[in-house]
Amino acid sequence: MTKITVNGRAIDADPKKPLIAACHEHDVDVPMYCYHPGLTPVGSCRICQVEVKQGDGPARVVVACRTPVAEGMVVNTDAPKAHDARRECLEFLLKNHPLDCPICDKAGECDLQDYSFDEGQTKGRTHEPRRKLEKRKSLGDVIVLDEERCILCSRCVRFFEDVTKKPQLTVADLGSRSTIATFQDRPLAGNYQGNIADICPVGALTLKAFRFKARVWNLSKHLSTCGECSRGCSITAEVLRGGELKRFRPRFNPKVNQWWMCDTGRFSFAHANATGRLVGAVRTSEGLRACDRETALGAAANALRGKASVTVVVSPFATNEEAAAAKTLAARLGAKTCFVSPAPNSLKDDFLHTGDPCPNRRGLVELGLQGLAAADVASALASAGAAVLIGERVAELIGAERLAALTGPRVVLFDTRAIEAPTLDSAIGVPLSIEKDGHWTNVDGHVGRLTIARAAPNGVRALVETLARLAELVSPAGAKA
Amino acid sequence: MKTFERYLLNRTTLANSHTLAVYKANGGYAGLEKVLKKPMTPAEVIAEMKASNLRGRGGAGFPCGMKWSFMPDPTKDPRPRYLAVNADESEPGTCKDRVLMEKDPHGLIEGCLIAAYAIRAQAVYIYVRGEYRESYDRLLAAIDEARKAGLIGKRVMDTDFACEIWMHKGAGAYICGEETGLMESLEGKRGHPRPKPPFPAGFGLWGQPTTVNNVETIFNVPFIVQKGGAWFASIGTANSKGNFLVGISGHVNKPGVYELPFGVTAREIVDEVAGGIWKGRKCKAWFPGGSSCALLLGADLDVVLDHDSLKAKGSSLGTAAMVMMDDATSMARVMEIIARFYDHESCGQCSQCREGTQWLAQIFHRIATGHGVPEDVATLESLAKGMAPGKTICALSDAAAIPTLSAVRLFRAELEECITKHKDPLAPSRVEYAGAH
Repeated sequence: MTKITVNGRAIDADPKKPLIAACHEHDVDVPMYCYHPGLTPVGSCRICQVEVKQGDGPARVVVACRTPVAEGMVVNTDAPKAHDARRECLEFLLKNHPLDCPICDKAGECDLQDYSFDEGQTKGRTHEPRRKLEKRKSLGDVIVLDEERCILCSRCVRFFEDVTKKPQLTVADLGSRSTIATFQDRPLAGNYQGNIADICPVGALTLKAFRFKARVWNLSKHLSTCGECSRGCSITAEVLRGGELKRFRPRFNPKVNQWWMCDTGRFSFAHANATGRLVGAVRTSEGLRACDRETALGAAANALRGKASVTVVVSPFATNEEAAAAKTLAARLGAKTCFVSPAPNSLKDDFLHTGDPCPNRRGLVELGLQGLAAADVASALASAGAAVLIGERVAELIGAERLAALTGPRVVLFDTRAIEAPTLDSAIGVPLSIEKDGHWTNVDGHVGRLTIARAAPNGVRALVETLARLAELVSPAGAKA
Repeated sequence: MKTFERYLLNRTTLANSHTLAVYKANGGYAGLEKVLKKPMTPAEVIAEMKASNLRGRGGAGFPCGMKWSFMPDPTKDPRPRYLAVNADESEPGTCKDRVLMEKDPHGLIEGCLIAAYAIRAQAVYIYVRGEYRESYDRLLAAIDEARKAGLIGKRVMDTDFACEIWMHKGAGAYICGEETGLMESLEGKRGHPRPKPPFPAGFGLWGQPTTVNNVETIFNVPFIVQKGGAWFASIGTANSKGNFLVGISGHVNKPGVYELPFGVTAREIVDEVAGGIWKGRKCKAWFPGGSSCALLLGADLDVVLDHDSLKAKGSSLGTAAMVMMDDATSMARVMEIIARFYDHESCGQCSQCREGTQWLAQIFHRIATGHGVPEDVATLESLAKGMAPGKTICALSDAAAIPTLSAVRLFRAELEECITKHKDPLAPSRVEYAGAH
C-alpha cells in the first residue's frame, strides 16, 4: 500500500490503481466522465483535475484518472486551481450540450448536471447555435442515442472493448464533428447492451424500455438480487411511488457481477407489474372461490390433515429461509420434499449468464432438497396422496397442464396466482422476490440478498410466516405428529 | 550574412538525385559503412549524437541523442524495438521534409539504418503524409533499390545487422503527426494520441520500445556519423547546433525551402534569402515556425532564428516554417483560417480541445465577418487559457491556444476595431472555404 495525503487526510492507496480510485475508495469526491472503475482509463474528458504536490516540486493540476499514486503524494481536490480547471472544462463540455434536461430521462442522476451544479457558472458565453445532430438514433432494440447530448467520454465504446470483448461502437469522425456510431449503422447485438445506458454519464444513451417512463427522483431504490439465472447479479429494484416496478439496474458487487448485468435480467420484471394477484382461494361446489388467507389456510390444513405420503414441491425461486420453512412443514407432514428444476436455457455465455434459470439452486441443494425436472415432479405427484406446491411460479414451472391432469393427490398451492386444476383444494398468495426479505445462494456460493422494494398486495403475508401458520393448523404445537 | 557550408541540400540539385547511383557517387552510404565496418558500437553512435547536440527538427526540439538513450538496455529488455520516422509533415507552412524525401530519399534511408543500428531496432516505419504521393513513391522506389543492393534486409552490407524499412501512408489527419497519434495510426487504429506516460521508449508501437524522429533529424545522422559530433556542434549557436531547413512562405518574393546555419537572424533570411517582403511592403506579423507558434511582429525580425532567442521572444522555433504577412494583412482573417484548421484537425478526445477549437474558430469567424460582440476578445483570451498549457492529452490544444493568445496580445486593437465597426477594415475579398476538405 502507498501512503498518500488527500485533503489533509492520510490514506493507504492501492498502487495498482490510479489516484482517482484512491480518492473514491476513501469517500473523497472527484468528478469523472470518461473514467469508470471497470474500464481502461483514457484521461480524455479532463474533468477529474486535482492539485497534486510531490516532494519539493511545485503543486500541479493533473487528471486524477491517469496519475499513478506515489509515496508521500499530497493531493488537494479543493484547491482553487483545481476548481478553476474543472470549471473551465465544464464550460467546454456544455458548449454544445443541448441542455434539454426537462425532457431528458437522465435528469436527476446526470453527472453533467451534478458537477455543473457543483462547479459551473450560471451563465453561458456562447453566441453560436449549438451543434445540431441526430436526436433519436436507434442503436438496436435496447438503446437510443441522442448525439447532441453526448459528451464523447467513450465509456460505451470501451465497455464493448474491455468488458464483453466484442467491440461494436466507435467514435466516428473528428473533433467537434465526432459522434458515437456502430459500423455501417448496424444495430447493437448481444445480451449486455443495457449497461451502456447505465454508464453513460449523460442522457445520450437511454433504454428504449425506460424512455419517458419515470422521473428518476420519483423512484425509490432497493437492493435486490436478479432471479433470471443462477449468477444472482446484485441489482437495485427501482419502484415508482405507486408501487410500479420501473427498472432493474446492476449494483456493484466485486464477487459476482462487478458493475454489470445482462439484458435478460434487466428486463425480467414485466410480470411484477401484472394485476390480479392471488390472496387466497378455496374449492367450493362452484369451483375455486376467492377468500382471505386464513380461510384458505384452514381449507389447506383440512386437505392435508391425516394424509399419508404427502409430497412438498418447492419453487427454484424460494429463498433459503422459505425453503427451510418448507422443510419444517414437510417434517410435520412426514412428507417427501424436492424442488422443480427447470432445464438450462441457451442464454449461457462466457460472461455473466449461467444459462441455469434457477436462482437458488445451490441454496436449495445445500438445504438437502433434490432438484427434479418438471415431468419427474409430475410423475412423483401422480403417486402421492397429497401435494403442497410452494413458491413463486411453482405451478407454471411444473406446468399447469400437468397439474390439471392429476387425478390422485389433493393439491395445496402457494403461488402468486391460482390455476385451474380439479384436484386443487386451496391456493394461498405469496410475495414476489421484490416484495420479500431473504437470501439466494448463487452458483459460486455467494449469498445474495433480497429486500422489500414494495409491499405485497393486501392480505398476502411473507411465505415463511404463512408456512409456519399452516404447520400450526395441521398439527397444533404440543400435539406432535 | 556570413558564408557557410551547406550539406543538407547539396545533393538535391543534382540530376536524378533520388537514385542510388547518384547518391553513392556523392558519398552516400559512407556513414552507414563507417558504422557497420569500422565498426562503431551502438553506444558509440549515441555518444556521437549526444556530442553533436542535434535537436529534433519536428517542432519540439528535443535532443536526439538523449531520446535515443531512453531506449531500454537490450540485455535487460529483450522485446522487439522500432524506429518510427515522422514524415507526416502537415503543420501549416511546413514543407521542408518533402524536399528531402523527394530529392534525396536515400539520405533518409541511410539515416534510418544508422539510427536503427544505434537503438537496436529491427524495423523502421516511415509514416508519410497521405498527400505526399511523390515522396511516398520516391521513398518506396529507393527502399526497393537499397534492398536489392543489400542495404536493407537480413544482412545489411553483409554484416550481422538486420533491419527492415516499411512505408506507411497517412490518410490526411494532422493529428497523426503527433508521435503517439502516429503510432496508433500505424497500428491501424484511429489516430487518437495516447496519454503520456508511458512514453514511447518504454511503450510505443504495439507496446514495444519505440523511438519517433522527424525526417530532417534522421537526415542529419549520416553527416554527424561521418564528420563527427564535434564538427556538428561547431556550427550554430549555444543550444541550437548545425544547419537547418527554413521553409519560408507567405508574402515574400522568393518563398521556398532554404538551408541555413543556426545564428542567422530572421531579417537576414527574409531580405537576403527570400528576396524581401513582396510589393515593397513592410512585414506586419510572422510565424517563426509554423502556425502553432506565437505570432511575432515585423519589429521582431532582428531576432536570431534559434531555440533560445525565439523562446526569449515568447515564441518558438517549431519546424522553422516562417510564414510572413505584409502590412495589408487582416489578422482577424489570418486567425479565422488558423482557428478553422485546428477545429478541423482536433481528434476530439479531450473536452477542451474538441469544443475549444470549434469555439475559437466560430468567434474568429464572427469577428472577421463583422459579427463580433464586444466581449469576444476577452472570451478568446479566457478560452485559450482554458485550453493550455498542458491541460490535454497532446499539444494540439496548445497549438490552437498559443497563436490565439499572441494574436489577442499583439492585435487586440485591430480585432476590437473589427467588432466596433461591424466589419473588417482590412478584409480581402472573401473566398469561402467552407467544407474545403
